[in-house]
Amino acid sequence: MSPATSPAPTRAPQALRHRRSARRLTSGQLASFRAAMSAVQGINDDRGFQYWAGIHGLPLPISCTHHNELFLPWHRAYLYLFEKALQDREPGVTLPWWDWTDHSEGIPAIYARQRADNKRNPLFDSPIQPGGRERPSQKRTTRAPGPPGRLPTHAEVGAVLENRDFLTFQTQLESIHDGVHVWTGGTMQSIATAAYDPVFWAHHCMIDRLWYLWQLRHSTSGVPRRLLDRALAPFPMTVRDTLDVTGLGYDYAASTAAAKGPGHHG
Amino acid sequence: MVERFTSAPIELPAPDRPFQRADLLFYGLDHSGPSYEGQVFFDTRGVGGEADQTHRAYVGSFFIFGHGGCFGDLGHCDIPAERDAFDLRPPHQLEPALRILTVTDAVRTLLDRGVAGAKVTVNARSADPRSTSVLAFDTVRLATYA
Repeated sequence: MSPATSPAPTRAPQALRHRRSARRLTSGQLASFRAAMSAVQGINDDRGFQYWAGIHGLPLPISCTHHNELFLPWHRAYLYLFEKALQDREPGVTLPWWDWTDHSEGIPAIYARQRADNKRNPLFDSPIQPGGRERPSQKRTTRAPGPPGRLPTHAEVGAVLENRDFLTFQTQLESIHDGVHVWTGGTMQSIATAAYDPVFWAHHCMIDRLWYLWQLRHSTSGVPRRLLDRALAPFPMTVRDTLDVTGLGYDYAASTAAAKGPGHHG
Repeated sequence: MVERFTSAPIELPAPDRPFQRADLLFYGLDHSGPSYEGQVFFDTRGVGGEADQTHRAYVGSFFIFGHGGCFGDLGHCDIPAERDAFDLRPPHQLEPALRILTVTDAVRTLLDRGVAGAKVTVNARSADPRSTSVLAFDTVRLATYA
């Protein structure tokens, strides 16, 4: 099922990649993701982590869209393009999502450990470039998470997903999103610096996944037509380009399995 | 900017007007400063600044992911008072926000108690050491939907 504004493709997607829960990565998937993050953190030009994190906040201009009608489409484009930068380093890698409705732990373990495999864990923290700091002493990202029980609940998310109107859904989801930024604390608490924290990407992947789930549930609802051709600066994409995630080459299925059909020969 | 605000009484729907859902809509929220949680209380007799999610009048929270201050030169964060009809640039980043809090059960409870109008209190909770006076908005409205 797909939203009315983005009909499902009639051919099986080629090489569709799946975004998975940060708690359910295999050791191989996790190793690839860590390798990709380490690689982009080691690049200092416009293919690197600092460049991508800086688009969201500092250095100026702050390009992210919050508290307006483009919140979900802009961040979907942002994640898509950053994921492409990761895939340039590690083909096939995808961003994992942080299911913060599971209160068994707060920050997912793969992001919470300072070291992994006897090396610095690239998911634990990141340097912040001088132009990206709110104050000169802010050289690395930090967190000050609250108790896991204060994260959003399944019931709260379920109530938001019930909204049939896109703009109401988006406004209520953004408030939940804002709450997770507040809960995580530290660098994540400010628009200016949040994207420098590696867990930012897992948080937004969860938000993107919830939009995707909403699209599945409310197949006849959609983004208002007047927004479809709005540009998502600085990205070379419009709102319309973000509506079908399979068109962007990814999906959120927990697992998939496929078998070949008979084909079209005689 | 304030830490805490209590509105004038807001009229509740007449008991003979059935509804499926009730929302509190906060219009014109400022998000230029630190991030915060706005803890919302409905029918706020006895709600002080120390009240939290355990208080009987607590109906939920909205959250604001804030810009954390201005990092530009003088005027960088001033929202233009007027906008040219031919200006195709995106809106100013600090155009105010809307938050919608669904409070259906709370409104039904108040109506069951025979309450005709209730004040709304918002206690803002910010972990930012720079300022706890982070709350500013234009209007709070109660909307019910049949």
